[in-house]
Amino acid sequence: MEYDTMMMDGESLGPSVKISAADDAYVNFQLSNVDLSFANSLRRVMLAEVPTVAIDLVEVEINTSVLADEFVAHRLGLIPLDSREIDQLNYTRDCDCDQSCGKCTVVLTLHAKCTGDDVMKVYARDLIVGIDRPNNHIGNPVITDPDGLGSLICKLRKGQEIKLSCIAKKGIAKEHAKWSPTSAVGFEYDPHNKLHHLDLWYEADAAEEWPASKNANFEEPPAEGEPFDYDAVPSKFYFEVESAGNIEPDNIIHEGIKEIQKKLAGLIHGLGENDGMDAGYDGPRSPDGMDGGAGWQDQGFTTPYGNTGGTTAWGGGGAATAYGTTPYGNSGSGGGW
Amino acid sequence: MPGKTKSRCADAEEVADTTMEDAPTSAQQPSDGMQEDQSGNNEEEDEKDEEEVEPQRVRILPGSSNTAASFEFLKEGHTMGNALRYIIMKNPDVEFCAYTIPHPSEDKMNIRIQTYDTTTASAALAKGLQDLEDLCDVVTDEFWTKRHDFMASK
Repeated sequence: MEYDTMMMDGESLGPSVKISAADDAYVNFQLSNVDLSFANSLRRVMLAEVPTVAIDLVEVEINTSVLADEFVAHRLGLIPLDSREIDQLNYTRDCDCDQSCGKCTVVLTLHAKCTGDDVMKVYARDLIVGIDRPNNHIGNPVITDPDGLGSLICKLRKGQEIKLSCIAKKGIAKEHAKWSPTSAVGFEYDPHNKLHHLDLWYEADAAEEWPASKNANFEEPPAEGEPFDYDAVPSKFYFEVESAGNIEPDNIIHEGIKEIQKKLAGLIHGLGENDGMDAGYDGPRSPDGMDGGAGWQDQGFTTPYGNTGGTTAWGGGGAATAYGTTPYGNSGSGGGW
Repeated sequence: MPGKTKSRCADAEEVADTTMEDAPTSAQQPSDGMQEDQSGNNEEEDEKDEEEVEPQRVRILPGSSNTAASFEFLKEGHTMGNALRYIIMKNPDVEFCAYTIPHPSEDKMNIRIQTYDTTTASAALAKGLQDLEDLCDVVTDEFWTKRHDFMASK
């Protein structure tokens, strides 16, 4: 049967996007005429599966600062690094090299020593990025403050020194949050709670006590005494994508959708090479459905191990107990239990 | 056994007991160590074969028929599960579609598809994957058009 996925539910409109605000750090938009499940997939994928680069390995040569090595290493990992055109960088696990190379890693080094009397602050701008990398911006520490300092790594007093080299790798936030391209993804639908997906707690009056969200202006408030529409489904989703600085916000969305498509392509590929059912082990089974069998006619007494009724691994099976009859007068011949 | 038919009760006597050894401890594939006693002599061969063998991403669970099948996806979760479930359910040839993550500590996602006789479950899944990809294309295009309009209007 021919049908158009995008034209169902009496909707003559396909998915639509309306951008309400955007700059180089965030983008707020409304996504309408898609299903909640798709909008949520997009949110999940932007939050956790868009690849970026982040420092993953730190080799500490000298650290006489007050912070422990692992503490500094953790801080270094959290520094956002420029991850635009991340496609040019391989995952280390997929790379042809032995350990790491310029195609899959970016090397950053840091060497700072305080010689003055004042406390010295070491910033992300002090990281020196190695030249062996796919292009000349990937792996640069993201610096957005007006002074051009970047994130603070540590402070040094007179005589303290820090010298280390870092290996930045490509990764996703599902593995570690330092790889997240977003600092937050706002996601809201149905700001007037017409669908009753929320049950608002209140003292006297929910409408009074719960301030309307700013997205409430985009939708009609429910009319006085409006009956609850139990067929209604959410169709308008308010996203607020806030970049951590390593990828531009609109590219996060783009990359997010691309990531969904990559997953789908992988699955289409995986489905193609499916060589039928693998019944090699007593694993999970598809329910036997309508074919009779043990499936739905079974009343729940049987186990999947061919153990119909009564017989246990201890050799029970309708036989009498060691005492001939149980104390309850059951001779055991019934075989039921 | 209350409620059971007589024939089943009679069968019960003949069915051999399952010993503890036969019953799997879990739904996971037995590890190499457990298989060792069976594979014995071709052990060396196995080791070579198992190097870099990608596990099958999508598997039809045994017990499935053409129009009613359960698929097991490795390394997928709610991100794909719910969206796929929705898009497959949109197919008018599909009678039923649902997904589940059987256990939170196993990186697996199962999708159950039951179709009418007009198609097969595998075809419905393939179509669902393709439809979702097309939907992604539409949303990307729409986003970039609107984004350019927005930049132009500023």
